[in-house]
Amino acid sequence: MPKRIVVDGNEAAAYGALLAKPDMCAVFPITPQSSVGEKVATFIANGDLKADLLDVEGEHSVLSMLQGGALAGARTFTATCGQGLAFMFEPYFRSPNLRLPIVMCIVCRDGITPQCVWGGQQDAMTVKEVGWIQMHCENNQEITDSIVMAYRIGEHSDVMLPVNVCFDGNFLSYAAEPVEIVDEEIADKFMGENNVNWHAALDPERPMAIDPLTGMTAPGGEAFARYREGQCKGMQNSLRVIPEIHKEWKELTGHDFAPLIEEYRLDDAEHAIMTIGSMTGAGKDAVDVARDKGKKVGLIKVKTFRPWPLKAMVSALSKIKALSVVDRSVNFGWNCGPLYQEVLATLPFLDKKIPLVSLIGGLAGTDLTIDHMAEAIKTAEDAAQGKVAEETIWLNKMY
Amino acid sequence: MGNAYNTLVVYPEKCNGCGECEKACAKAKADSTDIVHSRIKVLKNLEDEYFGPVVCMQCGEPSCVKSCPAGALTKNPETGVVEWDEDKCVSCTICTLGCPYGGIYYNPLMSNVMKCDHCGGDPECVKVCEPKAIEYKTEANVYKDQGEREDLFAPGLAACLGCNMEILIRHTLRHVGPNTVLAAPPGCVPGIAVVGINGFTGTKVPSFHPLLTNTASMLAGVRRYYKHIGRDVQVLALAGDGGAADVGFQSLSGAAERGEEVLFVCIDNEGYMNTGMQRSGTTPYGSWTSTTPVGSSLPGKSGDQKYMPLIMLMHNCEYVATAVMAYMEDYHEKLEKAIQASKKGFAYLHVFSPCTTGWRYPQEKTMEVQRQAVATNTFPLWEYEREAEKFAFTHPVDNPTSMEDYIGMLGKFRHLSKEQIDHHRNTVATRINLLKAIAEEGIKPLKAAV
Repeated sequence: MPKRIVVDGNEAAAYGALLAKPDMCAVFPITPQSSVGEKVATFIANGDLKADLLDVEGEHSVLSMLQGGALAGARTFTATCGQGLAFMFEPYFRSPNLRLPIVMCIVCRDGITPQCVWGGQQDAMTVKEVGWIQMHCENNQEITDSIVMAYRIGEHSDVMLPVNVCFDGNFLSYAAEPVEIVDEEIADKFMGENNVNWHAALDPERPMAIDPLTGMTAPGGEAFARYREGQCKGMQNSLRVIPEIHKEWKELTGHDFAPLIEEYRLDDAEHAIMTIGSMTGAGKDAVDVARDKGKKVGLIKVKTFRPWPLKAMVSALSKIKALSVVDRSVNFGWNCGPLYQEVLATLPFLDKKIPLVSLIGGLAGTDLTIDHMAEAIKTAEDAAQGKVAEETIWLNKMY
Repeated sequence: MGNAYNTLVVYPEKCNGCGECEKACAKAKADSTDIVHSRIKVLKNLEDEYFGPVVCMQCGEPSCVKSCPAGALTKNPETGVVEWDEDKCVSCTICTLGCPYGGIYYNPLMSNVMKCDHCGGDPECVKVCEPKAIEYKTEANVYKDQGEREDLFAPGLAACLGCNMEILIRHTLRHVGPNTVLAAPPGCVPGIAVVGINGFTGTKVPSFHPLLTNTASMLAGVRRYYKHIGRDVQVLALAGDGGAADVGFQSLSGAAERGEEVLFVCIDNEGYMNTGMQRSGTTPYGSWTSTTPVGSSLPGKSGDQKYMPLIMLMHNCEYVATAVMAYMEDYHEKLEKAIQASKKGFAYLHVFSPCTTGWRYPQEKTMEVQRQAVATNTFPLWEYEREAEKFAFTHPVDNPTSMEDYIGMLGKFRHLSKEQIDHHRNTVATRINLLKAIAEEGIKPLKAAV
């Protein structure tokens, strides 16, 4: 029988690791991620999880040790955020290029400066072009389940890429909710044999050189381009694999999460808001309130942000006349939110042009409430009627 | 391969010219008191040219054998002795001209040639030599111990001529063996194509480029997983000083502190030689490098070098040692201890490795620079064994040679003022005094202090 427990998001993440049974877990503290590592370490200390605990001296080594372990064949797990992710960037950049299916949570935190230890998605958004798969969770159940699924997605032979399971610091990391933990046998059946280093291994029984100098004269430069092209193909393949794995998980557990994007009350909607992460709950409530008032509004939740689910997005956007995008981080180069900019790049693929509005809120641990979401809905409605906000709208601003 | 023979090793500086060896040889070989029958000759009265015993060296490729037209001389593959067959010899004496060492003689009383046969493995001359100027022993221990092991790097590494590091990595991997995962962080080691270029590699064990910053942690991850699944796989880092002492230091320190089972060799060429001779944390005071240039306003590097071996000792590693390739047997002995130690914890070898290109000295001086660094106490050789609680000098230098002998060899020091050389002398003196204090006090109080 599945077990129903009440846990915060960080514990939910640790339970995801417990179900997935990685061989190695690396831990290093940073707010608001720390209790993921603490809980995993406790599972290992109590013998619940038979993994090697890597209690290392910094995030750089966290990911470096996991890379070494993965090249030897290990399933690996860790979590970080904010400055930890920034410090880890050097090996982080390299993980997808090595095609290592490492699973790492980003417990999203805003970037300093100003000095800040609270939620915000600036960390995950800043590394969006590095080549990790990014799945953003709405609630604690989705965190647990997505971590288990992340191994199967990353290790799929057509993918072979690392996966970030992202969830909001503070709002999910410390918020307690009921979570159903599936039976160990079901999780074991789902996980199957590991498939980590068939393509690149550090093993004296099959010696090979990993990552020789590659470039310049033939065949180096050409090989380099082939690696990059293959990596991009792996990313695109994951857009097929992620729904397959979600379907398989649903059939085994009954847990049903939209794999790429979720359309909420969208079919007959005239306008919509787009959300990512925990703000989606408030967004859905605001949509329900507006619907009760007769407004034809819907919501698009982004689960898979990397790779960008272009086809699913085009299909959803084709249903509406205007969209407001709510970001929990900033794109400094474009004076808008990063998610907004992704939608902007999607517009040429639509048959029609629809107006977009960028809203930024929930930075540094501030709350995105139903009222904020109602404001977003209002801007979308205005846009549908031709009154498009010309500049980015900053929510929770100091006036 | 790997078959080194005992030979007669002569130490002319110990010979007093007494002639007892000649008498013993004549007695043993001809039962005579006439030393004309001796196969060993003591050369005297040649002024400065030579003074001491001369005897057949039982060459590996003997010229006497090649020059003999009668097939009377053969190299015995079992004993290594060059044997003379009286029945085949025609006494032409061509062999005495063929030998470049004067090791085979014409005996006018017997009308034939004669040469040393090691008395069947128990040479009489050795027994009577009071000043021990002749010893019967094997000199080629490194060859004997390592010869049968495979060089796990294919020929054709692209190192500079005279490169010490190539010697080091070939010897190291040969000794460590094929059940190894090798990490070569950015620097000269992969720069000479150890990990390979464009899909080709000449390294016969699994090898990889870690980042300059994460060599110790990546390797520790490899070792951890193999241990987790019950496989004993050696992991080896061949890192430069940048990957150990500078940006590589955090992961190195963390891995050592956790006691990760890693064998970490720091090949210290005192700077970033692969990228064009920039300074590092181990660059000595006053050095010219391309980022500490010498001009009217700057006198070379302003600070002292970071002394990594002691820093690593204080991490409570299983084994820490300093070494040079110029003392090859010492290096292999330490490497063996480090390999064993790395099965239980962190093992760190700090190898002083001169760079002919970056330090500006002639390539044939690579070994001499190392000997002088040791002789001046610039680079003292020592080892620390945690379990045995032992700290000891392995090549103690009680009467160091003049600092100028070392500094004068290197172009990177050519500009040094008298004051700067004095600074060097003081740094070296402080360091050796500290090391001597540790050696005298022993490691126990040191550990208690930690």
